[in-house]
Amino acid sequence: MDGWIENARMIVESAAAIVPEDGGLDRVRALRFASPGYSPEVFAEIGTMGWLQLAVPERDGGAGLGMRECASLLVALGRGLLPEPVVSALLAQRLTAGRADTDILDGRTVMVAAWQDRTDSLDFAGPAGGDILKLHVDGAAGAGAFAVLAEQGVAIVRAGEPGVRVETAALQDGTFEGTLTLSAGNPEWLPVADADLALDEAILSHSAYLLGLSERGIEITLDYLRVRKQFDQPIGSFQALQHRASELKIQLELCRAAIFRTAARLDAGLSADRRAAAVSRVKTRAAGLAMLMAREAVQMHGAIGTTEEADIGLVVAKAISQANRYGSARLHRNRHFDASERSAA
Amino acid sequence: MTQHQAAGAFPAQSLPDFEAMSDEDFRQTVRRFVEAKYPDIPRFSQHRLRWDEVKPWYGVLSAEGWICPTWPRAFGGMGLGPGKHLILIEEFERFGCARVHDIGPVMLGPLLMKFGTQAQKDFYLPRILSGEDIWAQGYSEPDAGSDLASLRTRAVRDGDAWVIDGQKTWTTLGMDANRIFILARTDPSVKKQAGISFLLVPMDAPGVTVRPIRNLEGHAEFCEVFFDAVRVPLDSLVGGENEGWAIAKALLGHERVFIGAPRLSGNALARLRYLAEARDVFDDPALQDRYTRLKLDVEDLSDLFEAYVDKLRGGETIGPDVAILKIFQSELYQRISDEMMELAGATAGMREPEDGDPRKHAAGTWLAARPTTIFGGSTEVMRNMMARYVLDLPTR
Ligand SMILES: Cc1cc2nc3c(=O)[nH]c(=O)nc-3n(C[C@H](O)[C@H](O)[C@H](O)COP(=O)(O)OP(=O)(O)OC[C@H]3O[C@@H](n4cnc5c(N)ncnc54)[C@H](O)[C@@H]3O)c2cc1C
Repeated sequence: MDGWIENARMIVESAAAIVPEDGGLDRVRALRFASPGYSPEVFAEIGTMGWLQLAVPERDGGAGLGMRECASLLVALGRGLLPEPVVSALLAQRLTAGRADTDILDGRTVMVAAWQDRTDSLDFAGPAGGDILKLHVDGAAGAGAFAVLAEQGVAIVRAGEPGVRVETAALQDGTFEGTLTLSAGNPEWLPVADADLALDEAILSHSAYLLGLSERGIEITLDYLRVRKQFDQPIGSFQALQHRASELKIQLELCRAAIFRTAARLDAGLSADRRAAAVSRVKTRAAGLAMLMAREAVQMHGAIGTTEEADIGLVVAKAISQANRYGSARLHRNRHFDASERSAA
Repeated sequence: MTQHQAAGAFPAQSLPDFEAMSDEDFRQTVRRFVEAKYPDIPRFSQHRLRWDEVKPWYGVLSAEGWICPTWPRAFGGMGLGPGKHLILIEEFERFGCARVHDIGPVMLGPLLMKFGTQAQKDFYLPRILSGEDIWAQGYSEPDAGSDLASLRTRAVRDGDAWVIDGQKTWTTLGMDANRIFILARTDPSVKKQAGISFLLVPMDAPGVTVRPIRNLEGHAEFCEVFFDAVRVPLDSLVGGENEGWAIAKALLGHERVFIGAPRLSGNALARLRYLAEARDVFDDPALQDRYTRLKLDVEDLSDLFEAYVDKLRGGETIGPDVAILKIFQSELYQRISDEMMELAGATAGMREPEDGDPRKHAAGTWLAARPTTIFGGSTEVMRNMMARYVLDLPTR
């Protein structure tokens, strides 16, 4: 079934409505540091385009598309530094699989996933009893609902409901993450068949976002190397910078290949250990690429790269805010080691 | 235009002969000084404080006669040589003292002592000591960064004045300064380095405008300064007409060596460890291995730095190989900050320090480390200079 290429092409084309290819970043700039840090209207538009149900299986009313389509979309969104919490929303929809109310299904109400128990850990089982605490919830400020993932399953809770408390904090990219506390009573737990798979898909999707973001940052930097002149020459003519620009391209293509090959393998179906090993390999590369891009973009821009005024500043802030979400490279190297040793055994 | 208010005259005390003290006595003296006198302002700040915040500390240093550590005592300084100055810096760092607006004490003062007229010294030096004048450095322009000599701001002699037109940028804390020294082109007809002059300009002169620029942390730490037909008296020139390049290039004593001091890297390494312990992962052998690599680098850097300080103590002049120190220190600082970012996990991207604890603030360290490879000669340009002037490799 090679229809994915056509599907992906159509999705990426439709993405141009939200993030015009190489368009300006004015919208992104304007939304920073003003809660919720993104536009609920644009999120609703994303819902109208059907993207929120992209990865939900057809039997649950979703589009049932594969990870390659999903990754293609997220690369396009990453290129546009999209501030709306799409990866988290996709995960939330995937976990709740068509069981949410229609305002959530169609994106009028933002629902994000609240899954993470500890910083730099993929644990989501939660405590045996008592309050449930979920960290690093993307887009928490504007969310009207949360898909809370725990040992018991997934619970859809609404913001403002008794017992649901959300505290938000700003990230360097001007979005806000949240800490969610669930204390009252016992929410209705819905069964989740494949939470680990859903989480791996989210990690892969987020990696694709980082790939798109890095690709954009590299393009902006290459453009700068072409136009910025010092010593009567474009700085891109200096070999010291040329070699490092080439290295950026090498890392970019390694990351792209790893993402799309892994996406294809996931679509074909993998054992849990092989999947974890592959996805963690991808996330390690993507986080490394984003941080390399950020370092080089600042350095090659010189002083202007240290400001928030230039577009590259937005890209750098996004990279340092997002590189470690869904697990740092350190976490994923460890996870890869464990998973690949297990699958080899 | 400028928010700067003169701190007022701080009469200097009569100071002991610090150079006559043993290093250990001097260290204790500095330690007691900061513990007793440091005002109620932030410590261990990873960003530059604005004048309103740091003014009490400038006031204390000024009143105590400690604001210009390296100036000769005859000029109102502490008369410290490199060894004692290093101790002072170390103890200030250890306590987490904020960095004051030090362009006057560090750059302009020594430069005027060497190249200024008697009248310039008499007028400007006391005002730096008292905090009445806060200076900014106006060298860089939008199109003249690494290639500073291509600067285009012009100064034209018109009767009793120089008339200045052009723009400076990346002027650190220029919004807080009441004076700026600039390099301006006074002869466009000659080789670019040969037609540049060094001028002193009040920031409140008609035609000077300032626009703050926000850095990646959202702090306005530098600004653009525009000059539109700004008139300054002829005696605003330091040194001879068209001698500005030589003046600016004239080495600012041992400050160049101190840029390579291991303290930035050492502090960052301590924060890396602190974060690892807070995360309960310092027992991870893989992390220990990476931590130890960085630690060895910091310690070797310390040895190299001390070797340079010894040269200074012995009165040797420092050559272009001092780039070795600057390159290694600034890149090491960045590598440590990279490791902190990875270790911080999802909190790496937080705008404010986790739990309000600056020692856990990976992004703060990462961002603070970025400019060190850009200003004061970018790493790339420094490596080019090394290839040429230290390694004597052929040029194209
Ligand atoms: C935080 C901060 C504070 C500053 N404060 C002041 C201040 O108070 N006063 C002031 O006058 N200036 C200040 N500056 C400016 C500083 O001096 C310049 O940033 C510096 O000279 C580099 O110039 P640029 O930023 O224009 O970069 P560019 O010169 O445009 O360099 C861009 C990139 O090209 C590289 N490059 C340039 N030439 C070559 C070459 N020949 N070979 C290889 N690579 C090359 C550079 O290394 C860099 O990576 C400050 C800068 C910063 C970041």
